[in-house]
Amino acid sequence: MAYVIGVDVGGTFTDAVLDDDAGTVLAAKSPSTPPDYSRGVLDVLALLAEQLGKSLPEMLAETHHIAHGTTSSLNALVMGNVPPVGFLTTKGHRDSIFIMNVEGRYLGRSPHELQHVLGQSKDHALLPKRHALEVTERIDRDGTVVVGLDEEQARAAIRSLVADGVQAIAVSLLWSFRNPVHERRLRELIAQEAPGLFVALSSEVSPRIREFARNATTIMSTQIGPGLRDYLGALESSLRENGLTGPLLVMQSNGGAVAAKEAPAAAISTVGSVLTGGVVGSVALGRQLGHRNIISTDVGGTTFLAGLVVDGEPVRDTTTVINHHPINVPTLRVDAIGSGGGAIAWLDAGGNLRIGPRSAQAVPGPACYGNGGTEPTNTDANLVLGILPEKGLLGGRKPLSLDLARQAIDTQIAKPLGLSVEEAAAAIYTVQNAQTGDLLRKTVVEAGHDPREFVLYAFGGAGPAHCAGYAAEVGCDTVVVPLGPVASAFSAFGLASSDIVLAAELSDPTVVPFDPQRAERNFAELEQQVREGLQRQGVTFEKVELFREIDMRYSMQLAEVTAPVANGPLGTAEIEAAAAAFEKRYAELFGKDAGFREAGIQAITFRVRAVGVLPFSPELPEVPAAQGDATPFATRPVQLDARLGYVDTPVYDYRELRAGHVLAGPAIVEVPTTTVVVPDGTTGTVDQLGNLTIRRSA
Amino acid sequence: MTMPIPGSEAFSSRPVDPDELARSLPTSLKVHTVTQEQVDALDPLTYEVVRHRLWSVTDEMGEALKRMSGSPIVTDANDFDFAISDELGQEVQVGLYNTMLVGAVDLAIYWTLRNRADNPGIESGDMFLCNDPWVGGGLHQNDVMVYQPVFHDGELFAWTSAIAHQPDLGGVGLGSFSPAAQDVFSESLPTPPVKVVRGGQLQRDVADLWVRRSRVPMLVGLDLRAKIGANNVGGERLAALIAQYGADTVKAVMKRMMSDAEHRLRDKLAALPDGSWSATGYQDQSHEGDRGLHKITVTTTKTGDHLTFDFTGTDPQAGVINCTYAGMRGGVMLALLPILANDIPWSAGGLMRCFDLVTEEGTLNNATFPAAVGRGPIGPAWLTGSLIAETLSQMLDRDLELGRNVQATCCGTWDTAVIAGLDERGEQPAPFLSIMMEPMAGGYGARPHADGIDTGGLFCIPMGRVPDVEMTEFLYPLLTLWRREVPDSGGPGRHRGGLGASLAFTPHGTSIPMGLVLASNGKAVAQNTGLSGGHPGNSGLDVVARQSRIASLLAAGTMPSSLEEVSDSLEPGQNYASSYLAPGEVFAMTWQGGGGYGDPLTRDPEAVARDVQEEKITEAAAKSVYGVVLGDGSVDTAATRAERSRLRNARRDRSRIVGETRGTVDLASTKRIDDNLVEVGSDVACRHCGEVLGDTGDGPLALAVYDGAPTDAGPQIIATAADYVDAPVVFRQYCCPSCWTALSSAVVPADHPDAATTLGRLTVTAG
Repeated sequence: MAYVIGVDVGGTFTDAVLDDDAGTVLAAKSPSTPPDYSRGVLDVLALLAEQLGKSLPEMLAETHHIAHGTTSSLNALVMGNVPPVGFLTTKGHRDSIFIMNVEGRYLGRSPHELQHVLGQSKDHALLPKRHALEVTERIDRDGTVVVGLDEEQARAAIRSLVADGVQAIAVSLLWSFRNPVHERRLRELIAQEAPGLFVALSSEVSPRIREFARNATTIMSTQIGPGLRDYLGALESSLRENGLTGPLLVMQSNGGAVAAKEAPAAAISTVGSVLTGGVVGSVALGRQLGHRNIISTDVGGTTFLAGLVVDGEPVRDTTTVINHHPINVPTLRVDAIGSGGGAIAWLDAGGNLRIGPRSAQAVPGPACYGNGGTEPTNTDANLVLGILPEKGLLGGRKPLSLDLARQAIDTQIAKPLGLSVEEAAAAIYTVQNAQTGDLLRKTVVEAGHDPREFVLYAFGGAGPAHCAGYAAEVGCDTVVVPLGPVASAFSAFGLASSDIVLAAELSDPTVVPFDPQRAERNFAELEQQVREGLQRQGVTFEKVELFREIDMRYSMQLAEVTAPVANGPLGTAEIEAAAAAFEKRYAELFGKDAGFREAGIQAITFRVRAVGVLPFSPELPEVPAAQGDATPFATRPVQLDARLGYVDTPVYDYRELRAGHVLAGPAIVEVPTTTVVVPDGTTGTVDQLGNLTIRRSA
Repeated sequence: MTMPIPGSEAFSSRPVDPDELARSLPTSLKVHTVTQEQVDALDPLTYEVVRHRLWSVTDEMGEALKRMSGSPIVTDANDFDFAISDELGQEVQVGLYNTMLVGAVDLAIYWTLRNRADNPGIESGDMFLCNDPWVGGGLHQNDVMVYQPVFHDGELFAWTSAIAHQPDLGGVGLGSFSPAAQDVFSESLPTPPVKVVRGGQLQRDVADLWVRRSRVPMLVGLDLRAKIGANNVGGERLAALIAQYGADTVKAVMKRMMSDAEHRLRDKLAALPDGSWSATGYQDQSHEGDRGLHKITVTTTKTGDHLTFDFTGTDPQAGVINCTYAGMRGGVMLALLPILANDIPWSAGGLMRCFDLVTEEGTLNNATFPAAVGRGPIGPAWLTGSLIAETLSQMLDRDLELGRNVQATCCGTWDTAVIAGLDERGEQPAPFLSIMMEPMAGGYGARPHADGIDTGGLFCIPMGRVPDVEMTEFLYPLLTLWRREVPDSGGPGRHRGGLGASLAFTPHGTSIPMGLVLASNGKAVAQNTGLSGGHPGNSGLDVVARQSRIASLLAAGTMPSSLEEVSDSLEPGQNYASSYLAPGEVFAMTWQGGGGYGDPLTRDPEAVARDVQEEKITEAAAKSVYGVVLGDGSVDTAATRAERSRLRNARRDRSRIVGETRGTVDLASTKRIDDNLVEVGSDVACRHCGEVLGDTGDGPLALAVYDGAPTDAGPQIIATAADYVDAPVVFRQYCCPSCWTALSSAVVPADHPDAATTLGRLTVTAG
């Protein structure tokens, strides 16, 4: 088998990267085709085949596997575009999903929205109350059945849901992770009452303590499971018809993939897939470049995503927030910290310049797109400053209207502030970089790290124009902009380089120290689960790596922190080592001496992560070495620093860059989907893989 | 009532004129400031970059505090806050957590500048600690502020501060709260500003003195370190900001942030008509054994771009339901920040220049030492905030755009239940002590354009949260029978108040009775007032079910869903009580939802049908309160019309008319007053029928008035007033005497001030 292909289905574009494991890497881009995204996938694959000089079936026949990331499930959840789903829960506790621990009112809101309490709501309940029914049963914290399941009453509830037209049922009972007997029995009763109905049990989807997040996770997974099953089923059959014999994999939020046929049962694990590709790509590229600590910034037209790699491993989280609900899904930590190139510049009621968080979105987009947008955006400022060319970027994308950009900035910002259009544009650019720096710092510091110890990677359409600026604000001295073949499809490169990752977890809250056999028992069960899961993938692995971890907390403190646990037999020493690792990490995150260890430590959730390493590890190929200096294809006046004004700045075509080329700032590099800014006082160096590395000039 | 203690007045901090404060400082304390010219010279770019960086510094301080704290009151309930202030203590940027604390921070810094600059001195590397609510920094002794003077080049440049609620700081009661306290000497000792860090070193003697008073010294020690840590973060990042942009630029931005906030609030106020609006509210019972009603009253007067909040007429301090001046100011901030400053950066120092407080010493919300003030924030300060919100809502309701921030009163208190006992589930029995955190899920008030948020939380701690049942049961020997929203608990109205909720639990895993301490109010009278004829939300109710059948019910495979199933002996818990809960018994608490907005008879019948379907209200209430008749879940239009007409006739039949109406006017050209009333020239008319009820002067309006049983307000009145207080309590409703639309609906003491002269008017007559 010759190829591995990564396909990243975004809201606007579907990107693909192909690697032949022999030094060739190709990329392609094609419009996404909602609502049937599979058409866009086939389109982009056809483009890859064309580049290879092969037919689509020829290429697919030689493809080892396709790794696919999709935004469609996430969109369905956020837009509420999901089928009716029923929910069964413990009597007396149905309202957990409506009370939302109160935090459902404000989770996932920006600082600006947080201050506007009266602008918040809880109008995003997961389902109507008539679809949330209680069953008489009760299990206590030790797993003891206090009240047995009332089966007659449960059957009546199931029948009522089915009669009301639910397409699937989510079951989540109190303490089911300690004793799943009632949940399992409910699945049997549902099978009897409504054979074939899609059912998800919280004790399988998310066997973790804290019922609100577990309920929400199980319900959301149930809401997207059937849709994901239908979509992937259709996509897989058309790929099979076109000759694919290898597996179709789906990316998950945990940074690894899973076989398409296994994905619907744990659908919730795939929702973050499109966010994590860039981080996985950064890990792969970092491995090639020898970077262990990376801040990955993926800036598109409407979002700014920040991820972290520490010591070669992506920073993980155990919980994420979707639609203002806490969701239990092991995930790579990716923070959406801004609104990207479309962020709107405006004046507040005090006449102060503000940028974002509102975005011009894809429609109408920045004023300079000429689609009716009249509010100035970052992109408009960049055009006025000469960072973007008026004629449009390389590759013949649509020309931009400098007049419209100037007009928007002039009327909305420059005139009211008494500035020239150029001064106003420079202010927008500088404020944007500084504030991005503040938010990026928040992401890094809250993860317990110092940004000065990181290399910053920047990709996406709107990142490389600003990255040198915001990197300087947070104190990163090295910036890498991936160029070369994957410049415009870096997330898809990440997908192509992913392995299969499965996670299984179980809450078994207890006080540390505890009987090591308890941990042995939990881990043995979880390891069996993930091994069986790996076998169902239908893939041969080069090797399988298992990682054990326990989420622990100080008993009086809220934050649970994940600590690694040794593989192999566990004794008192290993449990103590895990507790020590927890304490060390806690101190990193929250400060030295922040732990209240006198109150004791609790172990809450046990987890096993299995990585099935695939026999492919795509790497970016080396580019030819430079023969002499790089030659700009044009020069244009660009203003990067208000104090310097417009400076004639050389503009380079990224295709002409070779390893070893050095670009003294100020300079601009044009790429089909973006421009890279090398500011005054910095130097850009092209590395052996064709990436541009920007550092402060010596 | 307590007698004032001579000498204690030296500890009462008040807002000061900054110039006067600056002049009063000793020459040994050099202070950094900038001129107005330097502020004016800031360019927009630098201003916005540095402003955002100051926000980011403040945010990082808060994160540090939250993460390092060991107290679930901080980590779960978010009862904490933090601020950056200028060299004289004026607050430049504050956190978004407990918004009442914003009103107290600067008072402590002013006091410190006045009383500590000479001796022991204010120097670089110092941090002060204060939990004296008369000095400021917090609203009761459990709020502890640690704050730091930040120096640059030998000049006092700014202050950073971090405040958090401590679980226990001594005194006779668990958690430093004693429901029977007669004065502050039964509570935690107030500590005026003391230097806890000197030259960057924690002072071991001071720290020991501090933690020694507590039942949980280790936790208090940890939180002390957390607050020091948060200040360190603030100090370090401010220093970096100064290094990058220069001290003068950073200070100029700080000053401009405050003047920007001030001017934006002033502009907003200037656009509104001048007028006065008043509100009066109550705490029922002042301490264990009391059966009185204790009133706070406020008249808010807006003149030009300035507000005056006048509390004259508020009852004398009593029992444990008092707060200091800082509490009153905190109450004002809890309402003012979200209602008037939702779109203005919270540079509180600037916002606070826009109002004055008028108050009498020795009253419930301006208590004189040695009054007990342990319940300050959750009793009197909170009520103060609710009343301020009510007057601001009346003011804003005249303006459709600003009216988007009008809100009927939210859940009016914290329903406190503390449990303590022995957890026998582990190998070794272990003692436990906990405050039930679920009452954090109160309801929000309804608004002119939207229903209140069901179990939306508490208005004063916008980012509070409640724990999961599983986490509570993991930590404490309880079995939670239910935790649910209570249908009908939201105040009925054209827009419905947000629902409150209820929790019931029984001991599970303990063989001995657990202690149960109760503290709350809002049972005999409604604190979650409605607006524009909207009804109040539910009364709170705490019930202990003695001689309960719970064990046999569970054993029989049933799970009860009402107290009546559990016991025939239901004992309403008093507002202030030291009680117990034995194995086999059940304790249930129901806390407040929000008030309604507008007459419930004007609610869209389809919205009522939706509410029934979503179990926000019962079908019975749909008919009896909203006059909406449903058939098979959908609106029976004809029957609804008939029922609503019948209910209006009932209002006619039961009301007495005061004054005389003056015939109808053309409603083509009117100015909005609220949901029901309009101004037509110098007339005040009913918007629904055009009847002129009076003029815009200060004479009484012609109104239909009804005083009836509290339960006439609706099924949400679940507590019986006579169980708590001696004074008679009524449902009082004012209607239009022509179309019988409700203009005001309240559950109040029978001697509550008459609204005929104030309703819908810009001016208030004396009395």
